[in-house]
Formats: sequence, structure tokens, C-alpha cells
Amino acid sequence: MTESNGVVIRIEDLHKSFGALDVLRGVDLNVARGEVVVILGPSGSGKSTLLRCVNLLEKPTAGDIWFEDTRVTDPATDVNKIREQVGMVFQSFNLFPHLSAKHNVMLAQRKVLKRTKEQAERIALEHLGKVGLADRVDYMPAQLSGGQQQRVAIARALAMDPHVMLFDEATSALDPELVRGVLDVMRALAQAGMTMIVVTHEMGFARDVADRAIFMDEGAIVEEGTPEQLFDDPQHERTKDFLGHII
Amino acid sequence: MTMRTQGALVRLVRSTLLFAMVLALLLPMIAASPAEALTVDSVTARSNQIGGNEVMGGRPVRVTWIGTVGPSESIESVVINLPDGVSPLLGDDASRRSEKLGGQPVSQDDQGSDQYSRVDVQVTSGSNRIEEDVTWVIDNERATVTFGKPVETGHKIQISVVNLVFPDADASYALTGSYTDDTGATRTFDSRAMQPIKVVARPPVEKLTDWLSDQPWVQQWNSFPVCQTFFKPQTAVSSVPALFVGWLRSLGLVLLGFPLAIPIGLAFSFLRMSKLAVLRFIASIYVNVIRGTPLFLQIYIIIFGLPMLGVNVDNYLLGIFVLAFNSSAYLAEIFRAGIQSIHKGQFEASASLGMNGAQTMFSVIIPQTVRRIIPTATSEFILLYKDTSLLAAVGVMELMMFSKSIVATSIDMTPYVVAAGYYLLVTLPLTKIIAAFEKKLAAAEGHTDEPPGKKKKRARRGSSGDSTAEDSHQENALQAAASAVGARGTGHAAGGEGS
Ligand SMILES: Nc1ncnc2c1ncn2[C@@H]1O[C@H](COP(=O)(O)OP(=O)(O)OP(=O)(O)O)[C@@H](O)[C@H]1O
Ligand SMILES: [Mg+2]
Repeated sequence: MTESNGVVIRIEDLHKSFGALDVLRGVDLNVARGEVVVILGPSGSGKSTLLRCVNLLEKPTAGDIWFEDTRVTDPATDVNKIREQVGMVFQSFNLFPHLSAKHNVMLAQRKVLKRTKEQAERIALEHLGKVGLADRVDYMPAQLSGGQQQRVAIARALAMDPHVMLFDEATSALDPELVRGVLDVMRALAQAGMTMIVVTHEMGFARDVADRAIFMDEGAIVEEGTPEQLFDDPQHERTKDFLGHII
Repeated sequence: MTMRTQGALVRLVRSTLLFAMVLALLLPMIAASPAEALTVDSVTARSNQIGGNEVMGGRPVRVTWIGTVGPSESIESVVINLPDGVSPLLGDDASRRSEKLGGQPVSQDDQGSDQYSRVDVQVTSGSNRIEEDVTWVIDNERATVTFGKPVETGHKIQISVVNLVFPDADASYALTGSYTDDTGATRTFDSRAMQPIKVVARPPVEKLTDWLSDQPWVQQWNSFPVCQTFFKPQTAVSSVPALFVGWLRSLGLVLLGFPLAIPIGLAFSFLRMSKLAVLRFIASIYVNVIRGTPLFLQIYIIIFGLPMLGVNVDNYLLGIFVLAFNSSAYLAEIFRAGIQSIHKGQFEASASLGMNGAQTMFSVIIPQTVRRIIPTATSEFILLYKDTSLLAAVGVMELMMFSKSIVATSIDMTPYVVAAGYYLLVTLPLTKIIAAFEKKLAAAEGHTDEPPGKKKKRARRGSSGDSTAEDSHQENALQAAASAVGARGTGHAAGGEGS
């Protein structure tokens, strides 16, 4: 049983193509409970696509994905049940603009988890407090800074009690001075034991927080290891090249 | 037998004699009654305001008296008494004051001014008009008509007293008078047996109109042709209440037609986004044919066409349906553009939280769509409201039609200007509301810098990548929505201004 191995997500020979374009070309990846995996790679290498396959925002062309005991790629699987337990944070926040911060966090709790209004509100306030927005709960998204919006988005995902969190360049759309607040929240989350797959360009963060770093290029994993191994002693030419550009 | 015959004869003679005696006694009395000499045929009053046998009080009217000269008589003069309270215009009215006529009686010598009372006399024999040399005089009590040569038996005399003013109250009047024959004998006549002249009080609007007509500044104002033609105060005050019903009917057309258009439009917007090509095709034909042809033409086709098919529905009802179907095509495009303007990130965020399609639609997509399309949909409402006027061309009673019918009698264009006011009464506030709403919407979706209560510098800047790209995506889609609607007319207020 996957659970006994402590593996939350298992990806086997995953392929994804958009028409003639092969974006993922056989990706294998296991993520253990409590593990923080950071994915690096040049633009267009398929990082986002990989994450989006995990919660089926993209439908894999071939291969298998397991989430705990469930085969995600099984057509009979209830997709919404998986998504409910797999939190995702987007580069562009995607808050619901017509709802206040609090109601952004409450909506899916009410609709999907069928929590009562009181429950949902209590949990929303709790998570908004954890991401440092206790004083912004009634603000509309447009009245929040990008960093604050992203933290609301994180709270919104956490309120669903996910077993794993996917971060797709959560800080890339932010002004440099706002990046830190968001990274602090993510760091605290990692330290609290959350299983996380993080696509990011923040090397410092990756070094601090990641248990494992993965370098992807052209739809495949080129190299992986601890952050120290990957950053300080890359084995592949393409990894070196990429790190040379980014640092 | 003979005896009995005789007795019967005697009885017959006796009763005949008695009858003759009674007749002889009665005859002079009958002959002396005025009806025998001059029969009053009719008494009527006329004015422009009210049809039938009624006239309005407080307004100059024409009273016509017609009588026929009886056997072996000839009439030299006729006097018509003015009933109590009825006054002739003798030049003593404040606004019509004349140097010459300060309440003095008027006569045929004073003719030439329409403003004073006068008498028109006509004498006819059968269908022939008899030339008469008539003199007349009107004072506060009576109108007296004297004929140059006496009017003979069987001739008909028609006397019209023009510009008499009855008291401004509901009442009826019977004319009395007298006549003199060629022997100098004067007899009275009484028309009480005839149908009386019915007078009704002036409605307040008419009073106001008359009052205005008497004001020097109004006369001054009306002396300018532009003012007189487009802004005549008298027509304006009478048009406002007269057009009110027309305004309500126009409002009714759009208030019934537009809500009907919403579900139809929504249905066609869904069809246009359908996965089935056939449905998309049908919907696009519907939308493009309606948007590609004039509403005026559609009105003609439906309103004149349906009766030819034997479908006889009230014009007003048909008008509502034509407006509804026309508007539904524009709304379909507004809805479609609105839904498509929602960034796909909204669908993905909802999905990533485990929400199903219906939950996403009703809790996330539709609330955002509604807010976004309200300005464009309100503009469409305004356009439709104005377009109700086109229905006047096929005789649907609405504001434009009401105005046309008033203009037909008022001569000047003021009713149209008043109608414009009635249209603006709806369109101006709505335009203002749209503008306010768009501002609020822009604020809610991230175009202002102010959090509630506090002033705070927004941290997000142009350089911040994806979120800005999202905003411009949404705005582009809304621009598309606006231009989709803009096809109806260039005077389109909403949507396109979101920069
Ligand atoms: N829905 C789609 N349809 C077609 N092509 C797509 C789609 N989504 C992604 N792609 C293509 O797949 C490739 C990988 O995209 P992906 O977004 O996964 O890259 P990425 O590694 O996340 O890049 P970045 O660092 O720029 O975010 C790109 O070439 C992209 O153009
Ligand atoms: Mg990406």
C-alpha cells in the first residue's frame, strides 16, 4: 500500500502532449509525506504542466498518477474528491474578485466540504490569521497587495485541509519586496510538515526549505538530488547552464 | 226607426255645436301662442374643445339659434337674451382692452376684430339663401338682430352669436328671447323645451393654458418664432399631462419587452457557446440576422405580416414581442462576451478547490458576469427604450404616437419637445447610474488605490506580471462585448470606456 510507504504522490512515466507538442515525455516522481520537493527548469520545460496533471487541470496523455491510495488517472476516479485534497496556488493568485478575503476562503469550505457558515468562518479567520492577514479579512481582493492576495490564496487552499500543496511560481508575479511575506508563509507551512511540490525560481528558498530539488528540461527530469547537490555540484551540462543563467 | 234616427241626429248636431263653440273659444288663444308664429328649431353651442352638445366654460363659444317664421307673419327683429352669467366679449376684458370698446355694446360696425362678440345671421328659404340687410348689436344683456325687410313666412332664420363666454362651472342653459313682427307686436319665445346648452367647467390645465395666454411675458416669448414653434408654454402645459399616458405606455413596452429578452438572450448565448456545431450555427443565424437588419424592418414584418397569416394579436402586445426578440439578440452577445471575459484562472481556481461545474458557475462565474454586464445591459435597455418610438410607425399607441396626435391639433412642435423630456426622464438617470456603477465596478475589480476607510498606496504595479495581464485580458473581452453591442448605435454609453 502506497500509504505504508509514506508516499503521497507517485507519478509513473507521465506523458502529456498538446497536439503535436510533447510537453511531458515520461516523468517519474515520488513525493513522500511531509516532503518538500522543489522543481526548477527553464521556461517551457513543462513544470506547470506537471503540477496541473497532478490535480487533473490537465489530462495526462499517458502514464499514471497515484494520490495516496487512489489512481488519479483512472477515469472512474472522482476528480473533485482528489482536487479537494490537493491544494494549489497559482502564479496569478486567481482570487474570486467579487468576494472578500474571508469569503474567498469560506466559499469552497461551504460548497464542497459542506461546512456550516460558522465553521467555515472560524476556519477562514484562523488560516487568514496564520498567513498574517487577520486585519484584512473583509478586504476585497482589489484592495489587497499582490503579496496579500497570494497569502489569501494560500489560506483558501489550506482551509480545505489538503494532504499536499502544489505551488506554481507563487511569487513570480510579485514585486520583490512582497516576495518575502509569501515565502515566509510557505516556509512555515513546510516546517509544519506539509507535503509540498514547489515550482520556483527562488534559489535561497529552495536551499532552505526543500528536501529535494529537481531540474526539468524539455518535459523530462534531467537531474535530482538535495538542493546542495543540485545547486553546488550539478552533474549535467544543461543544469549547469540553467543555474549559471539564474544565479 | 225614424224617431230613433232623428234623436241620433239631434245628438250629433248638439255635440258638434258644442265642439265648435269650444274650438271658437280656444282658437284665439292658440293663435296667440308664440310657437304659432315663430318656431324655434334648435339652439346649439359649439367650441373646439369638446365635441357633442357640450362646451367648456370660461372660453369663447359660438351659440347658434335657428327659428322658422310661422304662417301669415313676417319678422322684423329678434332679440336673444343672454342667460345670467353669460357674458359677451365687449372689449372690456383686461387683456383685450381696446380704446374704442370699453365694455360698450358692439354692433356690425365694430366688425374686424375676432376678439369681440359678433352676430352672424343667415336667412334661408328652402335651400336658397335670402339676402338680408341685417343690423345687430350686442350688449351685456342681449343680442338684438334687426332685418332690413321683414322675414317672411316659412323662412328660416339662423342667428349665431359668436364669442359668448359661459361661466366656468358645470351647468345647462336654455335661451329665451323675443321677436317683433311687421305690425309692431312683440312676442316672447322660450327654448326651454329644446335641448339645453350644456356647459362643463374648464379642467385645471385649460385654466392654466388660458391664464398663460393672457400673460404679457408669454405673448412676448411666443413672438419669437423658435419659442413659439418648439417651446410654446400653452402647448407645453397641456402636453405634459396629455403625454403622461403615452410615456407610461412606452415604459410598459420596454419594461415588459426587456425582461422577456433576458431569458431568450441567455438561452441563445448558451447555444452560441455550445459544444454542438448545429446549435452554435442556429444561434449565430438568429443573432446575426436580428442584429444585421433594422428594427424598423422587423416591426413592419411582424406587425403587418402576422395578421396576413391570420394571427390577430393586439399591436401593443406584438410590439412587446418584437422588442423582446430584437433585444434578445443583442443581449445574447452581451452575455456571451461577459461569460467569456471571465479569466480561465477563475475556473481553474474553483476546480482546484474541488468545486463542480454548477458550483463554479453559480458561485463564481455568474456573479462576476452579472456585475460586468450590468453597464452594457443597461445601455441596451436605454437603446430599447428609445426604440419603442419606432412602433409609432405601425400605430402602436406610445409616447411618440401620442405626441404626433397632439401636434396635429396644436400646430406647433412643442409636444415633441415635451416627449423628448419624457424620454430623457428615463435615459439620463440611467446613464448616470451606469457611470456610477462602472466606477464602482472598476474599484471592486482593482483599478483604484483605496482600501475601505484608509488611504494606502497599492503595492501592485505595472511590472507585476501575470495579474496585470489578466486585467487587460478581461478588459479586452469587455471591449469586445461593448463593440458587439455598439453595432446597434454609436450613442452607446457603457462598456467601451473601461480603458
Ligand atoms: N493548454 C496548452 N495548450 C497548448 N500548449 C500548452 C498549453 N499549456 C502549456 N503549453 C505548452 O507546453 C509547454 C510547457 O508549458 P508549461 O507552462 O508547463 O511550462 P513551464 O515550465 O511552466 O514554463 P514557465 O516557467 O514559463 O511557467 C510550453 O511550450 C507551453 O507553450
Ligand atoms: Mg509555468
